[in-house]
Amino acid sequence: MAHAISIPRLGWSMEEGTFREWLKASGDKVSPGEMLYVLEGDKAAQEIESIDAGILWIPPDAPQPNDAVQVGQVIGFLLAIGETPPNEPLAAKRSSSNAIETNKSPAAAPVVQQKKHQPVATPRARRRAGELGVDWTAVSGTGRHGRIRERDVVAAASAKPEPPASRIRQAIAQRMLAGAQQTAPVTLFTKTNASELVRWRNHARENTQGAVVPGYTEIIVKLVAALLPECPPLNACWQEDQVHLHEAIHIAVAVDTDHGLLAPVLAHADRLSLQELTVQFRLLIERARAGTLSQKELQGGTFTVTNLGAFGIDFFTPIINVPQAAILGIGRIVREPVVRGEAIVVGETIGLSLTFDHRAIDGAPAARWLQRLCQAIGRPGEMLDRMR
Amino acid sequence: MTNLGHPTDEQILGLYRTMQIIRQTEEELARCHQRGLIHGACHTYVGEEAIATAVCAHLTERDPVFSTHRGHGHALAKGMPPRDLMAELFGRQAGCSRGRGGSMHLFAPEIGMMGTSGIVGPCILQACGGGYSSKLLKNGAVAVAFFGDGAVNNGAFHEGLNMASIWKLPVLFVCENNQFATEVPFAYASGNPSVGNRGAAYGIPGFELDGNDVVEIHRVAGEAIERARAGGGPTLIECKTYRTRAHAEGMGDFTYRTREDVAAWRDRCPIRRVAVQRPALQKQFERIDAEVADMVRQARDFAESSPIPDPASARAHVYAGEGRGTRGEEREAEPAGSGLSPLASHPSPLASREVSFVAATLEALDHAMSANPGIFVMGEGIGVRGGNFRTTLGLFAKYGPERLCDTPICERGFVGLACGAAMTGTRPVIDFMFIDFINDSFGEIINQIAKMQYMSSGRLKMPLLLRGCGGIGHSAATHHSGLYYSIYAHIPGLRVVVPSTPYDAKGLLAHALRSDDPVLFLEHRELMSVKGAAPEGPYEIPFGQARIARAGKDATVVALSLMVQHAERAAEKLASEGLSIEIIDPRTVSPLDVDAILQSVAKTGRLLIVDEAFGPCSLASEIAAQVADRGFDDLDAPIKRLNGAFAPTPYAPSLEKAVVPGIEEITSALRELVKE
Repeated sequence: MAHAISIPRLGWSMEEGTFREWLKASGDKVSPGEMLYVLEGDKAAQEIESIDAGILWIPPDAPQPNDAVQVGQVIGFLLAIGETPPNEPLAAKRSSSNAIETNKSPAAAPVVQQKKHQPVATPRARRRAGELGVDWTAVSGTGRHGRIRERDVVAAASAKPEPPASRIRQAIAQRMLAGAQQTAPVTLFTKTNASELVRWRNHARENTQGAVVPGYTEIIVKLVAALLPECPPLNACWQEDQVHLHEAIHIAVAVDTDHGLLAPVLAHADRLSLQELTVQFRLLIERARAGTLSQKELQGGTFTVTNLGAFGIDFFTPIINVPQAAILGIGRIVREPVVRGEAIVVGETIGLSLTFDHRAIDGAPAARWLQRLCQAIGRPGEMLDRMR
Repeated sequence: MTNLGHPTDEQILGLYRTMQIIRQTEEELARCHQRGLIHGACHTYVGEEAIATAVCAHLTERDPVFSTHRGHGHALAKGMPPRDLMAELFGRQAGCSRGRGGSMHLFAPEIGMMGTSGIVGPCILQACGGGYSSKLLKNGAVAVAFFGDGAVNNGAFHEGLNMASIWKLPVLFVCENNQFATEVPFAYASGNPSVGNRGAAYGIPGFELDGNDVVEIHRVAGEAIERARAGGGPTLIECKTYRTRAHAEGMGDFTYRTREDVAAWRDRCPIRRVAVQRPALQKQFERIDAEVADMVRQARDFAESSPIPDPASARAHVYAGEGRGTRGEEREAEPAGSGLSPLASHPSPLASREVSFVAATLEALDHAMSANPGIFVMGEGIGVRGGNFRTTLGLFAKYGPERLCDTPICERGFVGLACGAAMTGTRPVIDFMFIDFINDSFGEIINQIAKMQYMSSGRLKMPLLLRGCGGIGHSAATHHSGLYYSIYAHIPGLRVVVPSTPYDAKGLLAHALRSDDPVLFLEHRELMSVKGAAPEGPYEIPFGQARIARAGKDATVVALSLMVQHAERAAEKLASEGLSIEIIDPRTVSPLDVDAILQSVAKTGRLLIVDEAFGPCSLASEIAAQVADRGFDDLDAPIKRLNGAFAPTPYAPSLEKAVVPGIEEITSALRELVKE
């Protein structure tokens, strides 16, 4: 049976591409893994490999070089030996596996409802479901091809219903899913020298008379707040196909509580002194853990910082706290051999993970900002002493 | 009967009267056929009246007559009132076969009219059976077969005459040579133009007579019947005659014979011949003519005014003891005809000794034969030798050669004989040795034995046992490996028993030997020497009651015979894998205990049928269909079948193994079934 060669989706959003050229001639024998043709997607031209084997047949109405091609469009066939080519015009053909039905306007809604998957149950299972008051269409089957059997219905009936997730859990779930699905996340990892940071904090601890000693989280939040104006798209959100920049800098900070993750917001963090910021943050943590945060204190963040360093984590891929555009993950500060001049000495490093929404900002400016943050961490006194 | 060659006036008037009854009844039937009052075929006997009349004049009601499709004359001559015949052809409840037969199936066993038949030949064999019953019961009866020239080139003629000869059976074979088998001339169809002289070929007396000479036939038949009653054996009489009407009413008659020929034979009318020979009796003849005309008119009025049979009774009398419609798969009625007290049912097999399958059946047969002198066994090597599989070992010494009768190799012949014997008061047991041989007698079983109770509207019983062993194994190859229960269970009127253990075999055989229905008892050769517990004393197991061979809850296996044993092994293996398999052994395929299967499926939800026979139209198909219908809501998986391959049984062990379900196949089929 002929394998249709269809235009794949390159990247996430491609709907149309440009056919450049065939890398094989009609009649060539093609093996899986061999490059078949060149396709240009949104970003670059790419050689497309064959996933099937067969004799290449390029129909007369196949796209010519530089023709626009649709995702899913069939442009040729791989035939078995001796097989006659399909004789219907290519224009009619569209591979269903690659095509994603998009319903652009309500007026164009398809007349036929999408076919709902109809589970199959044995007669016995259906009868038992009736007896037990179980909706068998909602039961997952363990029989051949997923057939619902009596035991599945019985299991469904006897399974204790899970208590519904807490509202916090549900909110976390919904936001995390949104962050994962509704953004174009890229995470940058870097490790930077933290010796000066450690020294600065130790010094601060020794010289603070009665005042609270800022932790590394608070220090880095302060540095982030101070540096965000240098890269406005990181303190932004992506809405209705465009970037909305925030003037104010409100840093949400992830707090682990018994009920789950909360991210109370330090409003106008850039305007707070480190001392104020630290005091305010400690209060937010207390309230978060006591469950007494107000809704207002959880809203309005423009950037999020999360710190897993306490658990020995170096790097991770934080999920963007929608509708924000970026989140910074802080790793642990670790003593390890570092190169200083020509010597290997004991130093301290810290891991940073910055996830940003590629829709709002490109990789280079985001990396450049992360580099600035590293520099600030490398010489914390320069900024912190000035801002104190 | 003295003075056979010179009948008295009274005898002549009697013969004349019978011939006239036949003639006038037939002519009236021909008129009725033309008027559309007769629904099916109507084969008249016009022109041939002398033969039935002369022969039957010597018979009593105890002498059985077996007849042909042209049998109106035989029935009337045997004493059937014309009204019973006419009502039958009119399709009325008062007809001699209660509307089940019509022209070709006339039954009046009360007067020894054992039936006419639409199949050419079997009546010869059935008359042999009537003769065999007479010999066994020593009641002096003589059986008569009437048949046409069309039957004499059929195997039944050869097999029947030979059997009658070797056993000196009291049988009269009367060939009515009317010169056409339907439309095929005898002169064309027969290498030997004489039938009468063929008697010599079988070592029996044979005569060629003028079939239109009632006096001469009366003489020769009388002598033959006297000789038979005296133990002198059978006689063949050929009566050359002519039917002066068409083969059947409404058929064209002059494509194969001429008007002149027919006219010439009309001139040789047997009735007119008597009248001409005895002018002194003219007045009496005329009075008889008028009386008969009145009788026939009344018969016709009676037939026309008789009620039609109740459609609700259409399924009645398929099996013995059924007063109303009953289906084959339902449980049987208690045997009524044997007159013997019932045996114990279901004694515990526990604590009884071990006995082999075949020895268990031998005990049941021995017990039945000692209790019922009407039982006799026929087969090849079942006499002194005791049976190829020791099925009759030691019985010959006990019961003698008449009750343990070795046969020539003529399965059709002795099965046809058994049919006639069962119809006339004895209980034949046919031991086929290998059951594959049964198929040579297929027509006798399907067309005669199975239908006899129904066609006689329950007035005949068919206590007949057909047994033999078969089944696949030990490179027996294709003519010694069949079991054929699917084929025979398809036929209404038969019981099909396929036991799997010595206990069941003994109890079911005991029941078969008291049943009034024809029973096929099929023994798997691979089980014959298997031992199992069975009580020594007599007991019986009714038909249509399945056995739970193993209780379980995860899946049901229905298996028969050797497959029960295989399924048990598979179930043991699966038990170690945590699967609990229930095995149902129906024990009888007809009647089939569908309820027991449904009960098991209600428990397990899963059904595998293991059936050694071919898949299409098989026991497995039937069970699958019944369960899909009646047990649909109990099913938790598709019904699965494991059948033997749809191929003849090959010889080489590697090939043989590949065509029959084995323990491995059953095991993996069950593993798959529980995954469904």
